[in-house]
Amino acid sequence: MIVAERRHLSEILKNIEPYNKVLILGCRGCVAICSTGGDREVEIIATALRIARKRQGKPLITYEATLIRQCDPEYLANLPELMKDAEAVVSLACGVGVNLIADLYPDIRVYPGVDTLFFGANTQLGVWQEKCRGCGDCIIDLTAGLCPIARCPKNLLNGPCGGSQNGKCEINPENPCIWHLIIERLTARGELDKLNEIWEPKDWRTYLGESPRKRIREDLIKNNKREG
Amino acid sequence: MAKPKIAVLCCNYTNSATDEDFKDFPCEIVIKRFPCSGSIEIVDILKEFEDDAEGVLVCGCEKEKCHNKTGNLRAEKRVLGAKKYLEEIGIDPERAQMAFVPRLDTGAFVETVKDFVEKILNKR
Repeated sequence: MIVAERRHLSEILKNIEPYNKVLILGCRGCVAICSTGGDREVEIIATALRIARKRQGKPLITYEATLIRQCDPEYLANLPELMKDAEAVVSLACGVGVNLIADLYPDIRVYPGVDTLFFGANTQLGVWQEKCRGCGDCIIDLTAGLCPIARCPKNLLNGPCGGSQNGKCEINPENPCIWHLIIERLTARGELDKLNEIWEPKDWRTYLGESPRKRIREDLIKNNKREG
Repeated sequence: MAKPKIAVLCCNYTNSATDEDFKDFPCEIVIKRFPCSGSIEIVDILKEFEDDAEGVLVCGCEKEKCHNKTGNLRAEKRVLGAKKYLEEIGIDPERAQMAFVPRLDTGAFVETVKDFVEKILNKR
């Protein structure tokens, strides 16, 4: 999932300072799963903002809604109606949702309520760990399913580096050295020779070369009148 | 001048206190009962502050005595979560507290509330 973290309330308060009526808009996608921007967080953040503004002597009216996904235009179609009485929206979706609102509704003042962090897994209650960088050129078929791009701080393609000690990363010794794990796994499977093969240079154009990236499936857009 | 207000959100099975138990308190005590302290949400705590409470005490059963096993521990986490929000909007996080009290011991519950009230009123 896309993992996000709630912004400090002072930052949100600063953004909505000029407004008296604000929509707090959650998303039931990734941010709900990572306990940052679902129904529950919408209610909490709206309440906290109202308390803060009441203490400032500038009462705030909040409207609360949570969409199935903010990263899909069809679920955002109802936004103008939700915004009927609001002057601005604080979106608790990831940056994708905020951008799409800004793209589709240039007249709506949208502010992020969260910082978008990474693609990660919920490894235990309250803990999310990055597992994928979204680089667009997966090599995890060669590395026992473990991604050195996302999980090695140096993004090494030929680790472990000299700093790996007792299987731990030198940058953060709490983390395993992912290359140590890759070699352990491949050795156990009798597949270590995979690392003797010469790999083609990694194609970073899929990550950095054509920003913003776009994926097109002709079979899905054929006869579809929607553009964008 | 209105009396200061203190809210107590509690597991129903921690006490059977009535208004009479708090009649001599120097503040208004609002008791809200929940089927288990584990069902008390962060927003329940914050809404008491929105309704002008000067402090919110969450009371759950003693550790390892929760009928639902971990409801009281869950409540403790929610209080911790609420403190974070309070801090960010400039409210002393100590104004929200968790207390573990014996089951169905109204005397101990009233004493716990009394201690909390003293702490909060001392902040004035």
